[in-house]
Amino acid sequence: MAKKTKKRTIVGSPLTPELLCELDAVRKFPRPSEDFDPNGRWANTYRIWTCHGYRQSGNQDVGFLRITRSADGSNETFTLKAYQEVVETDGMQNVIEATIECMNNQLASPTQWHLSSRFFDAGGKIINDLATDEKGLIDANVMSIKSSHHTLKREVARQLTCDWCLFEAVQRLSFDRESSLAFDLLEGLSLPKEDQHLSHRGVKRIRISDEEVSLHQFCQLGRGVLPYEYWLDDSHRLLAVITMNKAYILDEQAESIIKQTTEQLRKSYRRSKNLQRK
Amino acid sequence: MSRRNKTKESSYLVNRRAFMKLSGSTIALLANGGLTRKVVAAGQKRKAQPKNILLIITDQQHINTIAAGGCRHVRTPALDRLKRSGVSFAQSYSANPLCSPARSAVFTGRTSSECGVHVNGRSIRSDIPNLGQWFSEQTDYETFYAGKWHLPRSYSSTIPGFRVINTGIGGFGYLCDTVMSRACQGFLRNRSTRKPFLLAASFMQPHDICEWLRLNMENPGRLRYPELAGELPELPDNFEFDEHEPEAIRQRRAGNEPFRGKGKWNKEHWRYYMWSYYRNIEHLDAEIGRVLQALEDSGHTNDTLIVLTSDHGEGMAHHQMVRKSSFYDEAASVPLLFAWPGHISENGTDTTHLVSGLDIMPTLCDYAGIKTPPNVRGVSLRAALEGKGGLNRDFIISEVSSNTSRMVRTQRYKYVTYKDDPVEQLFDMKNDGGETKNLAASSAHAPTLSEHRKLLKDWETRLHVAPNVPNTDAWRYKA
Repeated sequence: MAKKTKKRTIVGSPLTPELLCELDAVRKFPRPSEDFDPNGRWANTYRIWTCHGYRQSGNQDVGFLRITRSADGSNETFTLKAYQEVVETDGMQNVIEATIECMNNQLASPTQWHLSSRFFDAGGKIINDLATDEKGLIDANVMSIKSSHHTLKREVARQLTCDWCLFEAVQRLSFDRESSLAFDLLEGLSLPKEDQHLSHRGVKRIRISDEEVSLHQFCQLGRGVLPYEYWLDDSHRLLAVITMNKAYILDEQAESIIKQTTEQLRKSYRRSKNLQRK
Repeated sequence: MSRRNKTKESSYLVNRRAFMKLSGSTIALLANGGLTRKVVAAGQKRKAQPKNILLIITDQQHINTIAAGGCRHVRTPALDRLKRSGVSFAQSYSANPLCSPARSAVFTGRTSSECGVHVNGRSIRSDIPNLGQWFSEQTDYETFYAGKWHLPRSYSSTIPGFRVINTGIGGFGYLCDTVMSRACQGFLRNRSTRKPFLLAASFMQPHDICEWLRLNMENPGRLRYPELAGELPELPDNFEFDEHEPEAIRQRRAGNEPFRGKGKWNKEHWRYYMWSYYRNIEHLDAEIGRVLQALEDSGHTNDTLIVLTSDHGEGMAHHQMVRKSSFYDEAASVPLLFAWPGHISENGTDTTHLVSGLDIMPTLCDYAGIKTPPNVRGVSLRAALEGKGGLNRDFIISEVSSNTSRMVRTQRYKYVTYKDDPVEQLFDMKNDGGETKNLAASSAHAPTLSEHRKLLKDWETRLHVAPNVPNTDAWRYKA
């Protein structure tokens, strides 16, 4: 019997919030909340969704990122916490936790942080020999990152931020053409990426699930990254970040969705191992 | 008995050939279990052996994508550092410019058709050992793998001969490499300096350009980010293509995104594609940088032989091609760098030798002080790397997917032929590096064409092609 082949259609155009809906990555964005204060205490959880470039197949949720902001009592700094789980093939998993003290400037520039990275195998067991812990400090344009046996020192630009901090900073920018930032990026609090520019691109009315919503767009271009597009609602809450074939989508259910995905992958891995044994 | 168990038992043994060379007293010590293979090797005055080996594999990396190598469109501090710390080969070719087949050749030293990996997603034939299996059996190196495998599964926590420390994530380079490099960082930082390791770190980038192509297939008519207009790279000199190419090439081009959308790409969109590819390269560079930094932090750098290569290149708008599976240099050439402080000279570029992905396995065996598996088709590059002699080789061969085409590259010429296609290609690589003038039909080049056909035929008769591979007879008997 001839094998049935699934027809795949190429998406053809860069991902946008409308396309995320068409591709079923988004059903609905949360409504703008009057209570949301970018300068206050909040927690946003984003589902990390990736796209192979086809409409029908290969697109999947691969993790979640939770950013939590808490004021620390002073006006000069505030604290961000980033927690990210990424699930890999066979249910292997990486968990990153970072606590970042940020300057209360436009960029939310990190001043010091603690970052831990943990890996779990397909059975859910921690892989101790892959664990890392880092303490970072930026003082007078010199960054030092201390790990178990080593301290790395490197000069950094005065205008510096990290990708997780940008999730916070972009929410405090005003929606006008004057809103633009130039900076170097410390991706994942470790990889320097120079010459980044973030600028406001205007507002777009889009239709999602029979509802028309306004989304405000910022765009980031620079070395070492494909363009990042940040989409915010009227209350300045960041709803989605899209970069090439990856999207961070604000979703309260993200954590439970990813936990389920991880469990399913591990189950299917165990099943295949058992079959191999038989 | 599993290979791993065999390894444990055999770590105190030497192979038969080495045994014959030993003195009586050494044999007595061996009999008592008092000597490891390493000590015996030292007694034989063998060549220096790196304590560790780090094999970095990238995916779809064009050979000219390193700033220190002259590419002015990228900033690649990590790759620059690596290039400056060792020797790179300027005439380096993929053994098959497609993911799985190329990887099968790198990991076995056998051609993809011998491995049975003529297309993506096939396993290496079980009677051909991969690098991990061979090193586990023959050496004291502990063997680890991180990232993309693709033989047969793209990502897998089970790879014969290796302990997989990280699988990666299906097809998403940006995320995959970030997680994978963090795993390698942890591994290197936590690793005791006493135990030798072989770590294969297999990055997915810059392969994300494939997803980019699908997400940018439609020509937008205007640049999505107008401020990039002044930054876009110029189109290559060989952007135009010969309309009399072999049918397979024309079909491949027509099937690619620039020609599949609602309208052909304009030149600006081609340039935006190149710009995007270079950003993927910079992303790759940063992730490689994390691994190299961890190697340095943990004190392994001076003890470690680092090898970097890619499975295949990228079309990069040359001949209006994108992606792979072509023998034009952009897709068929790949970076190949070796670095080992104090042993391989710094900042060297070898422009003399023709080298292939097939050579990686024998070169690593040479550095590890072990014989190669039987019937390996590549050669050790060690003498060339250490400036101690040339390679005994006049040409290299590359195959392409489904075993339907061959490339013969000699010092002066490149010959390409496709199954059942009367159009052959012959390029004078010295005078026409952009491969713009096909000389195959020129009577003046008839003897050259004939010589290249013969080289191919002779090569094919030596191969032990796997039974599952189609089209084999086409090559055996092609005159």
